[in-house]
Amino acid sequence: MESAHIGVHPLWHLYGWTFHSDTLISAWIVTAVLLSFAIFIRTILQMRPGLLQSTVELGVDSINGILVERMGEKGRKYFPFVATLFLFIICSNWLGILPFDLKPPTADLNTTAGLAILTIILVQAFGMIEKGPIRYFKRFFEPHPLFFPLNVIEEMAKPLSLSVRLFGNIFGKETIIVILSGLVALPLIYPIPILALSLLIGAIQAYIFMLLSIFYISMALEGH
Amino acid sequence: MTIQMMSVLGAAFGLAIVAFASALAQGFATGKAVEGISRQPEARGPIMTALIIGMSFIESLTLYALLVAIILIFVNPFK
Repeated sequence: MESAHIGVHPLWHLYGWTFHSDTLISAWIVTAVLLSFAIFIRTILQMRPGLLQSTVELGVDSINGILVERMGEKGRKYFPFVATLFLFIICSNWLGILPFDLKPPTADLNTTAGLAILTIILVQAFGMIEKGPIRYFKRFFEPHPLFFPLNVIEEMAKPLSLSVRLFGNIFGKETIIVILSGLVALPLIYPIPILALSLLIGAIQAYIFMLLSIFYISMALEGH
Repeated sequence: MTIQMMSVLGAAFGLAIVAFASALAQGFATGKAVEGISRQPEARGPIMTALIIGMSFIESLTLYALLVAIILIFVNPFK
């Protein structure tokens, strides 16, 4: 049965490291698509924007709007990071509906854990750069020094929930599609509603990941 | 009944209970948010943001249960 292949990745062994080859190849494809799109957009920039440029400007403006709304004008400098997260995750999620044998990189816990750990480390770094290390670490001892273990656990739970949320949604969607395609009757018809739903899930999860990153950054920046 | 069968049953029942509770919680949250929007339509943006963040926190608990279920079914520690 097909469902026996759920969660099994073809492996590459290289210099003592083990790679999930399908995840790696899909992530490279997403990166290549995003890079070439960015370079293409750069070449067609003009003063009177066309349809494509207007669409991209609309997206840039709305992400900038969220940042400015939460953090004020200083939020603009975190735009490149959160926009890259959003674009990478949404392209990865939507890779699963293309009619090729590509798995979304986000259906692998390693990818999402990497993104979440990167986000949390950068949040600490942003907080330290913005407020200075000593004033930043005071955050862990508030409202009382006894709360230090609780604050540390809260900080540790952030990457866990970020990564498991994205992974669980995308992996669950992929699993349902595989199981529905394995049905004996009408295997081409049944997955269609789930495929339509997966477009929505992919976009919402990318949006939530970006929104929570902005939320965590702004929480690290504010305070006394 | 082998321990394998019991793990599958445990995973299924655990997910069912968690899905029930999380659907209930998300229903409450959406209902309150829609109430707020209909009372004050100009506050739609902030309400939606708060709703989505709250929803994602509710959902993450469901997904922890999903993770446990996946571990029980595919990488069973008692194999």
